[in-house]
Amino acid sequence: MKEINKNVLKDAAHRLLFDMTEEQYDVLEKEFTVLVKQMDLIGTIEGIDDYQPMTFPFEVSTSYMRDDIPDTPLPREVALANAKDVVDGQIKLPKVVG
Amino acid sequence: MSYLDLTITDMHEALVAKKVTPLELAKEALERAKANNDNAFEGYMDEQALSIAASLKEPEVNNPFWGIPFVIKDNFATRNFPTTGSSNILKDYVPCFDATAVAKLLQAHAVPIAKSTLDELAMGGSGITGHKGPTFNPYDSKHERMIGGSSCGSAVSVAASIVPFALGSDTGDSVRKPAGYAGLVGMKPTWGRISRYGLFPFAPSLDHVGYFTRSVEDAALSLAVIAGRDLEDSTSSTRPVEDYTRLLKTDLKGIRVAVIKEIMDTITNPTVLKAFDQSIVALREAGAVVDNVHFDKRLLGTIYPTYITISCSEVTSNNANLDGIKFGPRFEGNTYQEVMFNARTAGFSELIKRRFVIGSFALMRENQDVLFLRAQKCRRKIVDTLNDILKTYDAVYLPSAPTIAPKFKDSHDQLSDEYLIADNHLAFGNFAGLPSLTLPIGFEKGMPLGANVMGRAFEEAKVFQIAQAIENKTGYRNLSAKEVRV
Repeated sequence: MKEINKNVLKDAAHRLLFDMTEEQYDVLEKEFTVLVKQMDLIGTIEGIDDYQPMTFPFEVSTSYMRDDIPDTPLPREVALANAKDVVDGQIKLPKVVG
Repeated sequence: MSYLDLTITDMHEALVAKKVTPLELAKEALERAKANNDNAFEGYMDEQALSIAASLKEPEVNNPFWGIPFVIKDNFATRNFPTTGSSNILKDYVPCFDATAVAKLLQAHAVPIAKSTLDELAMGGSGITGHKGPTFNPYDSKHERMIGGSSCGSAVSVAASIVPFALGSDTGDSVRKPAGYAGLVGMKPTWGRISRYGLFPFAPSLDHVGYFTRSVEDAALSLAVIAGRDLEDSTSSTRPVEDYTRLLKTDLKGIRVAVIKEIMDTITNPTVLKAFDQSIVALREAGAVVDNVHFDKRLLGTIYPTYITISCSEVTSNNANLDGIKFGPRFEGNTYQEVMFNARTAGFSELIKRRFVIGSFALMRENQDVLFLRAQKCRRKIVDTLNDILKTYDAVYLPSAPTIAPKFKDSHDQLSDEYLIADNHLAFGNFAGLPSLTLPIGFEKGMPLGANVMGRAFEEAKVFQIAQAIENKTGYRNLSAKEVRV
């Protein structure tokens, strides 16, 4: 496991595209000292690595082909209604290329 | 006594007898919601409520939700009504569709009154992290005690007799824990029993739609209204919806109930233990066999870290769409990445940023095996152990918390057995996707205490049957904070 320090925590935050204040990182670093001890409890369970990871409570069989149903798609103005910067029916963002 | 103080069942009778109208109930519910000072609401739905209620003229005798006012946790999409998830990053977001659970209630002619506060994006258990600040327990007029979260505002709505029903969501214990702190019935059915379409995802392998009522009978009636297969949610179950009230009047002969001794050993509050023991007597008097069973204590201590690791990891991707571009407040930047970075930095509060970082850390290449994957393995071991108990028992029965609702200023030793086990065991019901219901069993210092019945997958009717036997004995039905404030 990666050693925990403020730079690692900053990296973890930046990977998810946000930042925190220095004071908040300090609080988080302290929180991690407890958290790591809690997570370490999992490693103390005998034979834990022999188990298969569980991703859902139980298997759900939903594979089927539904019938095609003709429908009206979401109108463009409704799809864009919540975007704050819309020009000519498209969301405006900073230029990617000059 | 107003008709609005009644349970759904009794309110329905009054509506059918035309002693009260949906419009009168809706107006009074809106008045009570606006007069409430527990910080329970994100928005009041006056226009919808009054319009729907006014349109309801002839009572539907066989539809218990006809004209019943209800509240919606603000992480369920509501068409043409703001839905914020109690987060600044969704400020002013107005969905163009209704969540399926909401749509089903509207189809049943229930009347939406308000959207309720929550821990930001449902990521919390205290009811203090929403963008409008802490939500208070209506049983505590000094506002020193929490109601718990994340479904804090919905719990207030029902506990303060503003409405008899409120939608919530439950990823770790977010309906069942506040229900215990607020004298309510809080139900989380089997994973997949209620469609999650339109519920903002937190950790989809653990997320459940849940709800609050003030009686077991109401909880059983409600499930049939909102359960069912939904083509918009591929994880929703294809099993037929049942009459979940069918066993409510049946005694418990032949029912076997397990109490996990190692969890009970971590609870020291004598009032909790006494109330719980009395409820065991009630179960036995109703005909159930109640036994202590064993569960490896060390494994119980891993429930909380397993929950935190899995939920924080899953949420990192689920909330990736909150970027301030398609919806939410816009923050400028020189590149689109900067726009997203600035929106997310300003839009999320500190607490959920910390949870995101935990998830991001657990998913780093160097950590994935030892943290995330190992938590998923631990989840399976916990679930196997729980399901082994349920091979010979119909339900597991435990206090929903080791104390009454804590004060906001209370602190915990987060490595203690009380914190790791007694206070956080309910999440194993999310790991296994089992139906799980909290109901009131007593009071301490005027504050409610709860217990939890957890059954086998898709055996909700039996969970209601067991809970009904306890409610029959305690008499804790239709509790209201209006009458017991401290």
